[in-house]
Amino acid sequence: MRRPTRSRYATVVAGLTAGVVLTACGGSGSLGGDDDEASNGAADDTSPVTVGLLVPTSGVYAPLGEDMQQGFELFLEQNDGQLGGRDVELEVIDEGETPDTGVPGAQRLIQQEVNAVVGIVNSGTALGVRDAFEEAQVPLIIANAGADDITGARSSDYVWRTSFSNGEVAAALGPRAAEDCESVFLAAADYAAGREATAGFERTFTEAGGTVAGSVYPPFGTTTNYQPFLAQMQQSGADCVYTFFAGAEAVAFTQQYASFGLKDSIQLYSSGFLTEGGVLQAAGEAATGVETSLHYTDQIDSPRNTEFVEAYRTAYDEAPTVYAVQAYDAAQALDQAFENGTSGPDVVEGLKAIDTIDSPRGEFGFNEGHGPDQTYYLRRVEQGEVGLVNVVVEELTTS
Amino acid sequence: MTRPMTTPSSRGSDMAVDEVVAAGRPSSRGVFLTRHLPIGAAIVLALFAVPFFAPADLANALTRILALALLAVSLDLLVGVSGLPSLGHAAPFGVGAYAAGITAKEVTPFAPVPLLAAVVAGAVLSVLVGLVVVRTKGTYLLMLTLAVAELVHVLAGRWTAVTGGTNGLVGIPAMTLVPGGEPVRLAGIRYWYVLAVALLFFVLLVVVSRSAFGRSLRGIRDNEQRMSSLGYSTFRVKFTVFVIAGAVAGAAGSLYVVQSRFVSPTDLGFEVSALALLAVVIGGRGSLWGAVLGTALVFYLRDEIGPLLGGRGGLLMGAVFIAAVYLLPRGFAGIRVPRRFHRRQEAS
Amino acid sequence: MLGWLDSNLVTMIDGVAFGVLLFTIALGLSLVFGVMDVLNLAHGALYLGGAYLAVSIVGDGGSSVLVFVLALLAALAVGALAGAGLSLVTRPIAHRGHLDQALLTLGIAFVAADLFSELYGNDVKSVRAPAAFGGSTSILGSTYPTYRLVVIAVGLVLAVGAWYVIERTRVGSLVQASVADAQMVRALGVNTTYLMTGVFAAGAALAAFGGVLGAPILSASPGLDTRVLILGLVVVVIGGLGSVSGALVGALLIGQVEALGVSLVPTYASFLTFGTMALVLLLRPSGILASGRAA
Repeated sequence: MRRPTRSRYATVVAGLTAGVVLTACGGSGSLGGDDDEASNGAADDTSPVTVGLLVPTSGVYAPLGEDMQQGFELFLEQNDGQLGGRDVELEVIDEGETPDTGVPGAQRLIQQEVNAVVGIVNSGTALGVRDAFEEAQVPLIIANAGADDITGARSSDYVWRTSFSNGEVAAALGPRAAEDCESVFLAAADYAAGREATAGFERTFTEAGGTVAGSVYPPFGTTTNYQPFLAQMQQSGADCVYTFFAGAEAVAFTQQYASFGLKDSIQLYSSGFLTEGGVLQAAGEAATGVETSLHYTDQIDSPRNTEFVEAYRTAYDEAPTVYAVQAYDAAQALDQAFENGTSGPDVVEGLKAIDTIDSPRGEFGFNEGHGPDQTYYLRRVEQGEVGLVNVVVEELTTS
Repeated sequence: MTRPMTTPSSRGSDMAVDEVVAAGRPSSRGVFLTRHLPIGAAIVLALFAVPFFAPADLANALTRILALALLAVSLDLLVGVSGLPSLGHAAPFGVGAYAAGITAKEVTPFAPVPLLAAVVAGAVLSVLVGLVVVRTKGTYLLMLTLAVAELVHVLAGRWTAVTGGTNGLVGIPAMTLVPGGEPVRLAGIRYWYVLAVALLFFVLLVVVSRSAFGRSLRGIRDNEQRMSSLGYSTFRVKFTVFVIAGAVAGAAGSLYVVQSRFVSPTDLGFEVSALALLAVVIGGRGSLWGAVLGTALVFYLRDEIGPLLGGRGGLLMGAVFIAAVYLLPRGFAGIRVPRRFHRRQEAS
Repeated sequence: MLGWLDSNLVTMIDGVAFGVLLFTIALGLSLVFGVMDVLNLAHGALYLGGAYLAVSIVGDGGSSVLVFVLALLAALAVGALAGAGLSLVTRPIAHRGHLDQALLTLGIAFVAADLFSELYGNDVKSVRAPAAFGGSTSILGSTYPTYRLVVIAVGLVLAVGAWYVIERTRVGSLVQASVADAQMVRALGVNTTYLMTGVFAAGAALAAFGGVLGAPILSASPGLDTRVLILGLVVVVIGGLGSVSGALVGALLIGQVEALGVSLVPTYASFLTFGTMALVLLLRPSGILASGRAA
C-alpha cells in the first residue's frame, strides 16, 4: 500500500538538501575554469588586496601566532592599513597545531583567492602546501616554519621566507662554540626541526675542529622528565651541550638543566628559540648564562630596532620577539611587492625585485631559495632592567 | 566475570541473537529498501549536484569530509555493529594514506592503483593488529587499540626514509583518471571521484551489515557467550570484521590523500581516532549512515568554522559534544520521525 | 655492576619521583573508573586546573611553604567541588556506557581548556617550588633537585593514607564493595548516590592536588591536560581499574620505564610507554593487580 506521507517527507528532505546546497554558496561552481587556480585578475595601481594570515591562534603554538599577528598588524598600522599603496583586508585563519588543520586552512585561503598568504608555524604544513600554492599561483611568505627544504630542495618561486632555516641558525653557532669547547653533547627534540638543527651545528662544529661526545633525542611533545638525558650528558664528559627545544619542552629542559646541577658545570648552547619570548620568562633564573644563536633579539642596538621596539611596546605593552619581527618583515616584503601588481606572477616579480628589507634585525635580502640572507647574533641570557633579556654578545659569521 | 562495553541496544536485549537464530526472514530486507530508498536517492542526487553550484572551496571541504566519513562508517561497523570499540582506527587510515601517497609518487598516480595499495595496506595492518587485539573486550580493547595506534604513529614519525618523518610525505602528484593521462585539477571532478568511491564502499559496508554475517556480528555484540554456544567461532568473526573495517579505513585514507596530497604522522594520531569515534557516537552507533552526519558535524566544526573563531574553536566543539550527549541520546540516527505521521496513516 | 648502579641509581630514584607524581594523577582516575564505572576524560583538565591554581597562588617568584600548602588545600577544595559537579552532570547518562561518558567528559575538557586559555593565555606558566625546597641535594655525588624528594615523600604519605582509608575504614570497605558489586551495596541500604558523589569528588580533588604538586616540575600550559590524561589512562589500565595498589604499581612501573627505560634504550624511548601498556594488556588483560571489575 502506498504511503503518501512518506514520499512527501522524502521530497521535502530532498528539496531542503538541494536548497541548502544552492543557497549556501552562490556562484561559479567547482567545474569551470576555477578549480585549483585562483583567478588573479588584472588590477590597477590602487585596487585593494586581501592577505590571508595563517597562524596558530589556539593550542600549544598560539603564543607564536599571537606575536606573528601583532607584528604583521603593527606594520599595517604604521602604514595606514596599506601595503604597496593599496588598502589591505586581513583574513586571519587558525592554523591549529598540526597539518591536519593547517593544510585545509591554507587550501581555503587559496580558494578564497587572496592575493598572498603570510604565516605558518608548522613545517609539515609549509612543506605540504607548497605544491598547492605553486599550482594556484598564490604567493606564500612563511613567517616561521623552519624546515631546511622549504628554501632548499622544495623551494618554489611562490614560496618565500622571512624567518629562518633550522640548519642555518644552528650552523652559525658551531664555529663560535668550537672556540670555547673541544667536545660537545648534542640533544634535541626528536622531530625534523631538532634533527636539522643538530645536523647543522655538528657540521660547522666539527669543521672548526671540535668533536661530538654523544647525542640523544628525547621524544618530541611527550617528554617531561629530562633526567635520564641529563645524566648521559654528565657521564659523557663533554665540555658543552648544544640543544634544540621550543615551547613547553624548552622551559622544562632549561629548568631541569639547572636543577640537576649542569648549569654551572657544562656551558649550554642552543638555537635561540630556547630562550625567546614567553619561554624565557617561564624558565626564569635557570636560563641565565645560556648562549644562543638567533637572527634577532630586542636588545639589538640600532636606530631601526630601537624605533621598532618602542612602537611595538606602545602598541602591545610587551617586548617584541623574533616571531613578531618575522611577520613584520613579511609585511615589509609585501609592501614592496604589491607595488608591482596584485596578481600572483606580479607579486612574485615584485618579491624577486626586492634588494633589501629594512628589518629591525638588520638589513637582509633574499637568497636563491627565497629565504633570508641574514646575520645571526650570539646572545646570552642576562638579568635586564625588568626581567630577563637576550643580550647581544657579538655577530656570528655564517659560512 | 567480564562485563562487555554497554551500548544502548544491548541493554537487556538478545534481539540480535534471536534474529540470527531466526535468520532468513525475507520481509526484513524489503521493508528496509522501500523505507529508505527515496530519501537515500534524493540525498545522493543532491550530493552529485554539488559541483554545479558550489564554489571550489566547499567542494574541497566536502571531499575531505567524505573521506573522513568513510573512516567513521568503517569504525561504526566495528563499534556500533560489532561492539568492538577502537581508539586506534586512525592507524589503518593513515597507513592507507601513506601507501596511497607513496604509490602515487613512485608507481603511478592513476587513481585505482593507489586506492588498491591503500586497501591492501589497511588490511595487512589490521590482520597483524587484529590477531593480537581481537581477543580483548571493552575498555581493554579500547586502550589496546590506542596503544597500538600510538606505536604506529611514532613509527611513522621516525621512519623518515619511507614516510618523510615528522615533516610528512610531500610531493604527491595529482591523481589521474586515465592511465598516463592528464592530472585532475578541477575540484569538482576530484569531488565526484571521491564521492563515487566513498559511496561504493558505503554500500559495501551496508551490505555486510545487512547480511547473515552482519547479523552474527550484532549477535556477538549483544551476547557473545550465547553466540559461541550456537557454534559460531566468535574470534574468527570478530577478526574478519576487524580486517574489513581496516581495509575500508585504508581506502578512506587514499581518498583523503587525493584531496590533501600530503600525509603526516598526525593523520595517524590520537586526535583523528578520537574524533572519528566521537563522530560515530554523535551519529548514532550501528546505523552506518549516522556516522556520515556525525563526521560532517565534527570535522566541519573543526576545520571550517573553528579556525575562524580566533582561537575559540575548542569551546565550540566542546559545547556541541555536550549538547549532543544530552539532546541526541541515540545520535542523529536515533531521531524518530514524529508519531503524528504514523497516526494519520492509520486513520486514512 | 656497582658502576652501572652508580650511574643509574639517581635515574632510578628519579623514576620513583616521577612515578609517585603519576600515582597522584592516576589514583583519582582509577577510583572513579573502578567504583563508578565512569570514564572521566576531563581528568586531565582537572589536573591542569590545579596547576593553573598554583600559578595564581604560588606564582613563579620564591614562596614560602605555607603559601604552597595553601595552594594544595585550595586545589583539594576546588577539585572536590568540580568532582561533585561532574558527578551530577554524568549521572543522567551513567547507564549509557563508556562512549557516551567519553563524549560528555571530553566536551567538558575542551570547554575547560578554552577557559584556561582565556584566563591565563597560551604561554607556558611556570611555578617555583617553595624556597625551602627549591635547591638541590647531593645524592651519591650527583646533584638532585630537593623538590623531587619532597614529591616522593608527599606521594608516599598519600599512598599510605589512601591504603589506610580503603583498607581500614568503613567508607573504604564500601568503596571496595562498590567496585565489586554496586547493586549489592545499594541493596544493603547504603546511599550509593552520596558514596558515588564522594568518590568522584575525592578523585577530582586528587587530580587537582596532583596539578599543584607537579607544577614546579611540569609547569602549566595548553596541551598538558591531554598529555596527563593519556599517562593517567596508561597507568590505570596497567595497574587495574579500581585498585589503589594497582595504581601505585602501575605508576611506579611507568615512572621507571620513562626514567631507567629511556636511559637504557634511548633510541626506542618513544615506543617504551605504549609498548609497555600493550605488553601488559596482552599478558594480563585485567591489569597487574586487578581487583574485581575487569571491563
